[in-house]
Amino acid sequence: MSIRRDMRSVLAVARGGHGPLVEYRGLSVSYGELLAVNDVSFSVERGEILCVIGPNGAGKTTLLRMTSGLLRPTGGEIWFDGLRVDRMPAHRIAAHGATQVFQDIQLFENMSVLDNVMTGAHSWTDTGYIGASLRLASAIDEERLMRRAAIQQLSALGLMGVLHEYPGALSWGEQKLVGLARALLCRPILLLLDEPYGGLDTEEIDRLSRTLRALKNEGMTILMVEHLTDIVMDVADRVVVLHYGEKLAEGTPDTIREDERVISTYLGD
Amino acid sequence: MTPIVDRAKAQASRLVPMPRVPRAALVLLAVVAVLPLVGNAYIMSVLIKVGLHAVIAMGLVLLTGLAGQVSLGQGIFYGTGAYVSALLCLRFGISPWLAMPLAAAASGLLAAPIGRAILRLKGIIVAGVTLTVNLIFFYLVVSVSDLTGGATGLSQIPRFEYPRIVSYTTFVFYAVWLLAVVCLILTANLAASRVGRALKSVNILGGGTEDTAQVLGIDVMHFKVAAYVGAAVFAGVAGSVYAHYTSVIEPHTFSVQTSVLVAIMVVLGGVTSPWGAIVGSALIVGLTELLREVAPIILGGPTGAYELVAYGVVLVVSLLFLPSGLCSLPTRIEEWKRGRRL
Repeated sequence: MSIRRDMRSVLAVARGGHGPLVEYRGLSVSYGELLAVNDVSFSVERGEILCVIGPNGAGKTTLLRMTSGLLRPTGGEIWFDGLRVDRMPAHRIAAHGATQVFQDIQLFENMSVLDNVMTGAHSWTDTGYIGASLRLASAIDEERLMRRAAIQQLSALGLMGVLHEYPGALSWGEQKLVGLARALLCRPILLLLDEPYGGLDTEEIDRLSRTLRALKNEGMTILMVEHLTDIVMDVADRVVVLHYGEKLAEGTPDTIREDERVISTYLGD
Repeated sequence: MTPIVDRAKAQASRLVPMPRVPRAALVLLAVVAVLPLVGNAYIMSVLIKVGLHAVIAMGLVLLTGLAGQVSLGQGIFYGTGAYVSALLCLRFGISPWLAMPLAAAASGLLAAPIGRAILRLKGIIVAGVTLTVNLIFFYLVVSVSDLTGGATGLSQIPRFEYPRIVSYTTFVFYAVWLLAVVCLILTANLAASRVGRALKSVNILGGGTEDTAQVLGIDVMHFKVAAYVGAAVFAGVAGSVYAHYTSVIEPHTFSVQTSVLVAIMVVLGGVTSPWGAIVGSALIVGLTELLREVAPIILGGPTGAYELVAYGVVLVVSLLFLPSGLCSLPTRIEEWKRGRRL
């Protein structure tokens, strides 16, 4: 139960309370002939919000999918919290504390909002087949724990009104928040976000930025990819610019804004 | 009450399993309890068939309804359960009561490697491959005749020992329907749990996505195989009961035709609810009996001539008008009424 996750954070501190949380070393991946990511190296420091920006096809989503284990790199290494994860199955990386929210959210259409979010608690709970099918007391206790955690998360994000709705009945903004709530119920130490601001109105954008900053203040590390550069410059601690699969620049939003090559490629107008 | 007693009570309650028995399951049990008083032996035998097929179909509720993996090969595990149970009794003289759990376990053990191999494939291909494996199983059973009795099968399989206050058919009827209700409760409990959510998350037919399941820490392959094994265990128990009920088994009973029929049952009844398995089984078994007995009298021709056509018609009509199965009928009527009021 939750003890396992507590142990995980203890272990995380013991393993590498210092040093970067994520490290990419000469990372490459190719789809056949196409080199989607080419020899990219950078780190994500603990407790920062790092944004990867770049145009479509820059390799941003590919980078996230490799980090969460959904895609195997063809070269280079990925280290997460002192573990080499580039050959690790995705569900094990998730159990070590990294989870991803996809660009299209991908809520489970066959479950209510509450069940969707409760599914997020999978990795730190352990009710098995026997406990679940016989409804043993331990299973019921754990189910209550998960439900409470999910409701807490949903209410923090202002989603109590849609608790029992199915994803099909939600607005896009609500779907994005439910996806975030589900990811947060994993209790991750690393949150991977793929274009979290896409399709949101100004009010929703502000709310998301506030939420992300609050998470950062609680100690969470956030790695996101985004092409809306204005918002990124506002919320990110550091920015990495990808261009056709290669790292073009890296630094604080201010230095990126003044980087000659970045300006000539994107930020200029 | 003293705090000590309270604490003792609390501790005791933690040890006791607490199945959530749906009220409908209790109603079903009550109906089952009185049926032998009104039904004749023929009706009892038909209802036993309904119950056995409902148990196999409930396996598909786990596998297809929850985890979204299609199988047209449940006959493999129905057969494995029957043959293993029969052989254990015939060769080693053990009690059918002991043979039943062993046979169920054997089905599960067989399902694990098959599932691991098949479920790497996606979608409808899985259905085709399970069907093929069922064909292989059939020919295997026929050809290893030293062990299985070949095409003639096995006979003189011992019956369950039971208190002889009712007829054997009545006893088996009770046993089968108790089993069906137990499977119903287990399935319903599982569906509403952490495991059920994990199974639904990998259900790409119903709206789950494997990528998301993985990044939430769910081992997709593990849960797909687990559902496959669970379905096989259900079918294995049903097979064992069948063998000790009829005392005679032959390979044809576990052929592709049975597997496809069970799949049609869950489609008809509704694949996402364990009740669908019971409704679908009752409908298909009932239809089969009706056509075998009645259709030749009215329409002429040999027995068994109309069944396949009827299955086809029923399946198409169901898919057209009630794609979520008969179990969704109450909700549909509710929606229709509400729609008229608006």
